[in-house]
This record gives sequence, C-alpha cells and structure tokens, in this order.
Amino acid sequence: MSGSLARIAAIVRLDFLVRFRRVSTVIVFLLLSAFAYVWIPSPATGRTLIQINDHRAIYNSGAIGLGTASLGTMFVGLFGYYVISNAIRKDVVSRCGLVAASTPMRSGEYLWGKFLGNVFFLTTFLAGFMLSSMAMVIVRGEAPIEPLVFLEQYLLLTTAAIVFVSAVAVLFESIRFLSGKLGDVAYFILWMMTISLAVGNAASHGKISWARYFDFTGFGFMTDQLARVLHTDSVSIGASSFDPHKTTIVFPGLRLSREWVLPRLVSTFAPLLLLLVAALCFHRFDPTRTKQTSEKSSRNWIGRLQSLFKPLSRRVVAALMRPVRGGSFAAAIWSDAVLTLTLNPLVVVAFVAITIATCGASLASVLPVVFAVLAVIVSDVATRDVRANTIASLRATPHLRENFVWWKLGSTCLFCLAFCAVAIFRTALLGGLPLLALLLGIGFVAAMATSLGVMTSNAKTFIVLFLSFCYLVVNDRGANPWFDFAGFYRGGDATTMAAYAVTSIGLLFLAQALFRTRLARA
Amino acid sequence: MLKIESVSKRFRGGNYGVRDVSLDLKSGVIGLLGPNGAGKTTLMQMIATITRPSAGRILFEGADVTRRPNDVRRKLGYLPQDFGVYENLTAIEFLSYFAALKGITSRPRIMEMLEHVNLHQSANRAVGGFSGGMKQRLGIAQALINDPALLIVDEPTAGLDPEERVRFRNVLSEIGFGKLVILSTHIVSDIESIATEIAVLKAGALLTVGAPENLLRACAGKVWRAVVSSEEFDQLRTILRISSAVRKSDGVHIRFVGPEPSLAATAVEPELEDAFLYLMNFGPEETAAR
Repeated sequence: MSGSLARIAAIVRLDFLVRFRRVSTVIVFLLLSAFAYVWIPSPATGRTLIQINDHRAIYNSGAIGLGTASLGTMFVGLFGYYVISNAIRKDVVSRCGLVAASTPMRSGEYLWGKFLGNVFFLTTFLAGFMLSSMAMVIVRGEAPIEPLVFLEQYLLLTTAAIVFVSAVAVLFESIRFLSGKLGDVAYFILWMMTISLAVGNAASHGKISWARYFDFTGFGFMTDQLARVLHTDSVSIGASSFDPHKTTIVFPGLRLSREWVLPRLVSTFAPLLLLLVAALCFHRFDPTRTKQTSEKSSRNWIGRLQSLFKPLSRRVVAALMRPVRGGSFAAAIWSDAVLTLTLNPLVVVAFVAITIATCGASLASVLPVVFAVLAVIVSDVATRDVRANTIASLRATPHLRENFVWWKLGSTCLFCLAFCAVAIFRTALLGGLPLLALLLGIGFVAAMATSLGVMTSNAKTFIVLFLSFCYLVVNDRGANPWFDFAGFYRGGDATTMAAYAVTSIGLLFLAQALFRTRLARA
Repeated sequence: MLKIESVSKRFRGGNYGVRDVSLDLKSGVIGLLGPNGAGKTTLMQMIATITRPSAGRILFEGADVTRRPNDVRRKLGYLPQDFGVYENLTAIEFLSYFAALKGITSRPRIMEMLEHVNLHQSANRAVGGFSGGMKQRLGIAQALINDPALLIVDEPTAGLDPEERVRFRNVLSEIGFGKLVILSTHIVSDIESIATEIAVLKAGALLTVGAPENLLRACAGKVWRAVVSSEEFDQLRTILRISSAVRKSDGVHIRFVGPEPSLAATAVEPELEDAFLYLMNFGPEETAAR
C-alpha cells in the first residue's frame, strides 16, 4: 500500500473505531436496525408500507427495499449530518490534530480520510438497517427474498445521499464560520433546498431538467420512476392506511433506466468537488485559523444571542434561586433545573414564545413543537457535567454521588413541567386521561433524555433518537395509537400509557445500573 | 541544525505572539523557559509547521520550514501542550494511527516504543483509563516513533505528579545523541538537569539564550539570603523578588534576587530558579524600563 493510501486507511480506521466504540453509536445503530420492525407494519393492522391509490403493495424485496431505503435516505440526510459533523472538530479539541498536522500527511489525505470515514460510518449504519429490513421480508414478507433487488434499491437511493452528506460535513468543518451551529442551520436549509428542488421538478413534470443532476436525496429519481411504473402520482410511503377490499399490487422495485444513468452518476460524484473547496479552506489545525471553544461561545451568533438575553435571565435566575435553602436533595434538583436556564438565557425567550403559542393554537399542532424544543434544551442536562469535567466534584457532593441519575431526572422533569405549564393546564381542562397521557409523555422525554445522556455522555444520541421518533409521531397523526406517547392526537389508550411508563422506568434503571457500575470502577 | 531568523508572529488583533526572535540551535536539549503567555507555544508551533511566521524564517538543516514543510515534518516529533487522546482506543491502536501518519507500519517498532515509555503492559488497554502521566508517556511515544531528528515537546510535565515528572525527564534525557530536543516549560526544575542550553522568553521576545552556566554566571552576586521576622516578611514580600521562604524557629529564611539590599543579607550561589526570576524582573527589558 502506498504511503498516501496507508495514511487515508489509518484515518478511516481510526474514525470507525472511535465512533463504533461509543455507546451512543451502538444504541443508535441498534435502535435504527430495530426500527425496521416499526416502519413495516403488519397489513393486519390496516396499515402498510407502500400504498398506491389505496391499493397495498405486497411485501416483496422491491417494495420493502424501496420503502426502507427512502427512510434510510431521510435518516442520512436529516440526522446523519449531525452525527458525523464533528470528525475534524474532535481532532481540534483533543489536539491530536496538531500532531497530525506536524506529520508528512497531506491536507488532502486527511480530508479524504475524514470523508471516507463519514461514508463508511453512514454506510455501516444503513447496512445494518438494510439487513434488518431484509429480515422483515422473512417476518412479514409475501414473496421470496431477493437480496440483489433489495441492494439495488439502497444503491440507487442512498449512495448519492451518503456521498453528499459526507462531503458537506467535511466542507463545513473546513470553513471557519460554518464549523459550528451556523453550519448546522446552513446544512438543514441546504438539505431542504435539495428536497424542494426534487419535489419542484416532479411537480412540474420534469421541466427543471437540470434538477435531476442535483438529486442528492434520490427523491426526484424515485418519484419519477414510481410515476412511470405505477402510472400514478398518488403513492404513499410509510405506515399508511389502505383499502383492504382493493387488490394488491406487485411493485418490482426501482430500476435504473437509461435516461437516469447520467443524472444519478452526476448526483453521486458531483459532491466530491466540495472536497476540493474544503482543501482550499482547510486550516490544517493552525490555531490562528481554527475556531477555539472559548472564542466560539462569544463570537458565534447563538453565543451573541445568549449574551443579549443574559441580563434578563440573570434576574429570573436570581428570583428562582431565592427559595433555595440548605443542601437537601430537593434543593440540588431545583438548582440544577435553574442551571439549565442560567446556561441558556435564550430559554427565557423560548419559554415566552411557547407559552404564547400554547395559549392560542390547538394543542395537537403546538405540542409536537413544544416537545421538539424541549428535547433540544434538556438534551444536555445529563451530559453537561461530563463535558464540563465537573463529575469528580459532584461525586464529592452529598446526595449526588449515588443518586446522579435521579438528580438529573428530577431536574429534567422539573424543567419540563415548568416549560409545559400552560399546555398542562389546558390539557387538564380536557379531562384526567389526556392530562395523564401528557404527564407520562413528559416523563418519557425526561427519562429518555436522562438515561441516554447518562449511558452515552452524548447529548446528540437523545436528540437524534427523539426527533426521529417525533418525526414518525407527527407523520402518523395518531393513526397508530402506539406512537402517540404524550396524547398529542388523543390516540393513546391505557395500554399505550402503561407501555411508555414501563419503558421510561426500564431506561432509568438501566442507566442507574450502568452508572453504579462505572462508579464502582472509578 | 535549527536556525530561527528574526521570526515574528502577529495575530489578527494586532498583538504579537512572538516578536523578532532569532536563535541558532545545535543538537542537544534546549529548554524554552518563560512565564505563561511568553510565546513559547507559538514559537514551537511555528517550528513544528503548525502555523506560519508573519515575518522572518526558520531553517532546519538548511531547509526553510515554511516553504518546504514536509522536509522538516519527516524528521519531526511533536507533543503539543494539553495533548488529548481518543479515549476509547487502546494504546496500540492510538500509536499505530500516528505511526501510519508518519509512514511507519512496523508493528515491532510500535511495541518497542510502548516498551520504551513503559506502557507495554497496558498496550491493549483503552487509553481513556490511563493516568495523566501514562497519557503523556503515550504522547512522547508517538512523538518518538519516527526516530525524529527534531523533537518538540510543549509543557510536557504540566499536571504530572513528581514521580511522573522525573520519569518523563529520564525519557527525554535518554534520547540519542545528535538530535535536537526543544522542551518548553515554566517550571525551571524540569530542565535544569537535562538542558544543554536555555532560551528565556518574555512577552514574545527573547530575553537571553545560553548554557545554564552562563545564565547562572549572569546573576552571580544578585542572589541573597536573609533571616527576617514574620512581621518583616509580610512587608518585604511585596518589595523583594523572593524565590523561596521557609519558616524556622529563628524566623523566616528568605532567598531573593536583585541588587544589593538595604537589609542584612548574605550573597549566595545562584540556582537556575533564581536566574530565571532575576531575568524576569531585572532582565534587559526591565533594566531598560527602569
């Protein structure tokens, strides 16, 4: 192996080992793989994966392959970026990048290594999802399994997305002002634009011809092919209801027709050009060109907004801390909940906005937004102490050494209850059962945020999993009662509530067991 | 071997990290001494090709490190300040990664380095569980793995306990003949036993450079010892540049640097710590300012 290849291989290997030895990655990987079971409902429930004009597409390799590959593309596009977009930053923070920069390694080799590391990581994730989806052909299938057809769907749909997301992540990390939160927002807008372009082209029946060459999501290709094969625009992918009295349809899967060969190739390889731009902008760990943590917090736009609202939050925090007396466990919970506000002054603004919105809008439309905002805010409650390196001091604090999980749970619950106060009040007016569902939903969020935070020490695990779950819940709109974890759509019955309560308790005890084990080893 | 010619580093805000530093270094262990913010790290990063000088040039074995950085990178070992690790890798995996970046794939060489820094028994342990000293030893192992002609170690002993500091010093002193080791620190005892030359930096400027004996000679007759009462000590410590103070039954034994004092004091043989303190407070810059 030549020197360049050996160096690139070493970087890819390192990224793979570092990522796959994190508990957070393993949890997301396993849950995503298990997700296939939920995504492919049994037709006996009245719901199906692909519905065409109320007809159900039978569960063969083509249909399940297409359905799960399209979901995989969404995962890669929406969440994959946020999972992989810290590969270079990690080297800056650990200062291992400084050592790498002092070796004969070329900047291009490093960027290629990081890019291929991203590709490899996302491909591994999707491979796991694909294999579990293939298993679903055996579990719920109505036709023999055809691995090549399955693989074809994934290759046609997800390859361009993986390359695009991986290249954009490397590019944004190489550009100083895009390597933080601004890059996260810019990426989201970029991804939405690529989807809009594909949808716009499909809606105009291919009039935006060049859009086919920038179809990184594969949605343009998919909608075009579905329309050609099925002769209709009315196709629904996801757990949709169908008319059981109508005949079933056999969907053979997507095929790459001649006119799509070039657009798919361009969509797959064009993002590689971004690596050239990345090479031009790459800082090679020069401290005068990298964004330092302290600098970042004061100069980025979120940091500036936070500073702007600090005087306001300071007064609120001072008022909230007034009743805290002594060193009781309850006081510790209260202080930690208030700390969430101290660390994020913008929460005051979010609270006011959410409260106003909750007063006016229908609960079904506003609650998912409330929960999404809440999830982002509380995601770091259980992880911030590890990040700030204050764990050792906390272990010396009375009550907190053994009860860290319960302390964080209490703090998160308290914050969530305050944040959702108006929603709780309005739901209480609807009756006891909706109120119980909402409270259990809040408990589920707090338990999930706490347990995943404690288990993985990474806030992103909870954000990725919970927001993916929320995406499903919102799209399902209460059709499947099992998804309605907080009674958004009044779909959840007593069994659903009990299931979420048991899951929450189970997660917490798992986190506590893991925490105790770590404590014993420390 | 290493020639630094009028090198400056100016940051975006207009501040200088390093200002007009010139050095001509031969093989041996060079101690780069200076308080925090003196510009040691910036100077080392420029030599290590991490950041470019704003002015001046650095030549290593005749090659300009800014124009031909790969020439020096092939012969360089670098351990940055506050060196972190990938917590969930084993020591072997961690070292193999940096070895590969330096073009070394030999497994025996990796094991040899682990043995050299006494980590061979922890080779398959995750480095996240290593102590600070073990992590630093792993850091020096990666810096040495390519048998560098130029080794740059930036504040390597910060945060280490005394035993680990001694162990670390021994590792550095064992590095072969004919190599140049640049070691930065603000702790004088780190270099007094191993440095063949010492360069003292302050506020980005080079105050002096020379053999430790020359530094000691420069402050001969400027180091004093006196015994004072506790009350006197409280007053004197704001006036004098005290390098050490020990309370004993007859009073406080103080050691300080400076011109001949008005109180009853005896001139004593200077130590490197005294020389450093003298330079920081009565060096060329300060003398000019007075």
